[in-house]
Amino acid sequence: MAEIVFDRVAKIFPGGTVAVEELSLTVAEGEFMVLVGPSGCGKTTALRMIAGLEEITDGVVSIGGQVVNNVLPKDRDIAMVFQNYALYPQMTVGQNMGFALKIRKLPKDEINRRVQEAAKILRLTEYLDRRPKALSGGQRQRVAMGRAIVREPQAFLMDEPLSNLDAQLRVEMRTEITRIQRLLGVATIYVTHDQTEAMTMGDRVAVMRAGALHQVATPQDLYDHPINEFVAGFIGSPPMNLILASLQDENGELVLRFGDQSVVVPSSYRTSHRLAHLIGARVVFGIRPEDLELASGEGGALLEAIVDLREALGSEKLAYLSFGADTEIVQQETPRDDGVPVRRRSRVVARLRARADVHEGGRVTLRLNADNFHFFDPETGASLRVGAS
Amino acid sequence: MNTLTASPPTRLRSPRRRRVTRGVIFIAMVVMAIVMLYPFAVMLFTSFKTENQYLAGHGTSTQSWHQLASSLPIFQQLLNSTIVCSASIAIILVVGVMAGFSFAKLQFRFANLIFLAMVSAMMVPLQAILIPEYVNVARFGLTNGYLGAVLVYAALGTPFSIFLFTTYFRRVPDELIEAGIVDGLGYWGVLWRLALPMALPAIATVTVLQFIQIWDDLLVGLLFLQNPAERPITVGLAALAAGRTTSIPQLMAGSLVSALPAMLVYLGFQRFLVRGLTLGIDR
Repeated sequence: MAEIVFDRVAKIFPGGTVAVEELSLTVAEGEFMVLVGPSGCGKTTALRMIAGLEEITDGVVSIGGQVVNNVLPKDRDIAMVFQNYALYPQMTVGQNMGFALKIRKLPKDEINRRVQEAAKILRLTEYLDRRPKALSGGQRQRVAMGRAIVREPQAFLMDEPLSNLDAQLRVEMRTEITRIQRLLGVATIYVTHDQTEAMTMGDRVAVMRAGALHQVATPQDLYDHPINEFVAGFIGSPPMNLILASLQDENGELVLRFGDQSVVVPSSYRTSHRLAHLIGARVVFGIRPEDLELASGEGGALLEAIVDLREALGSEKLAYLSFGADTEIVQQETPRDDGVPVRRRSRVVARLRARADVHEGGRVTLRLNADNFHFFDPETGASLRVGAS
Repeated sequence: MNTLTASPPTRLRSPRRRRVTRGVIFIAMVVMAIVMLYPFAVMLFTSFKTENQYLAGHGTSTQSWHQLASSLPIFQQLLNSTIVCSASIAIILVVGVMAGFSFAKLQFRFANLIFLAMVSAMMVPLQAILIPEYVNVARFGLTNGYLGAVLVYAALGTPFSIFLFTTYFRRVPDELIEAGIVDGLGYWGVLWRLALPMALPAIATVTVLQFIQIWDDLLVGLLFLQNPAERPITVGLAALAAGRTTSIPQLMAGSLVSALPAMLVYLGFQRFLVRGLTLGIDR
């Protein structure tokens, strides 16, 4: 077990493509760190640099206090789980799991013991004599985990290990991997483009985009205090609503105006956010879908909207809204299932109670939870919260 | 209410029509088999006749088989063919596997250009380079031993072998190799312990095709193996055919003996051969 440190690490591919720039990140002993971001954000490259599969252009990577920039992969004492499992087709499950130990010339008894132990943890005991091609996707995934576990390495590296599984199995394996990681207490770096995986599995989550690290925080912190527009729009499903509004001081009261709507901003935001210099200008106003609810009665910050579409999910109802006049919704970069980000105008969405009485085409009045407003700089996208950097 | 979606009904052919189709295919296959086997049958039946019986068209005898051993050092020649074949194939495999793995999985300068240059050598017919090749080999004084022929066969067979192994190893996912490296292997280890066991069908394919080609070849043996004691079986048979009086039954017996090893190798490796041409690495 060991700490993994990236110190201003950069990766520039021949031809000048910058895959990772100035990445500084520390993964503590036993910590489950998730690297998340859209495709091409550099997360996999970062992982491969720890594994030694990619040369480091600049900066220092160390594992357990030892600089490993020039250490061969086999001497780094790390285990890696690949996206397509990379099981050796000519070997049985048991041989696959014990292969790394065999290379290290461990005694046969010891190899057997460790393989059996790992197989027990992963519920693979009865499959030890089968070949990978005779296993289901989930089982293969577990073998790949097993191959990592038997090594008893200093760190686990996982490269989108669940992306080849169907949705149900993915949820199952998510908890399974988390359980095993907690059980073994080995520092783990887990790469994914799926923000649900990131939120549910990580002790901390590092959000990357275009080679740069945007924010590292606990999942809750990331959700509650996104450092910029990108993180706000990336984390959460559906993501945060981001609306371009003009900020005005009307008789000592801060008011947001967009379309024909106006929202009064509680005065506490004057101190908690750096808004003063944007008064009279535009600001990106962010609000999570669950911070919008159907208003009953007067008072509070209210919005009048038309329901374009509603989705009943059983436990809740999503209402996609539009406002009478031409409201500008900030374009968001949203990852699709295959991880390719697309820029599109998103609609404002509210997460309502399952029994909420909304109809497509109907008008609704929504109350905004004034405790959870977010403000971002329209130029830089940075959060205007004091203390956010 | 539950709605059951039924899959569209599959159109089944009538049993009668299916029987007819299968019958036609069967007849076509029988015809092809007869065409293929006919020369062998002629060889076999002719070999069991004397010269006169052959000319007369009836009667059987084992005389030509008895005489074969005395008119040809057939066992020595079979041994010679085996030595030349095995040594050439060994070189072709070793070079092919290593070069194929390098071209497929290692990154180095001009890799594609070198690969193309090597593979384009497949297009050059033997006859076009035979004379310069002979001059070269003769200058090194290698025409009086196995080595000259072995080197020529190896040089002729290696481009195809490199091509096959390169395309084969390209189908091995990079992640498999990286998994091996993370597990503690170097590139040599990856090649010998991971890639090679996966390439068995390709090895079988190269072995069979090259064995048949080298074993049946006459020209190189004739030119580069001039010491009578080192002649391969094909050269021996040619000598038999070129004699003043050629005994056709004896020639047929010799040809059968000569054809047998190649057929056995083919039958033995047939299973891998099919896999070698069809196998996709299981992901």
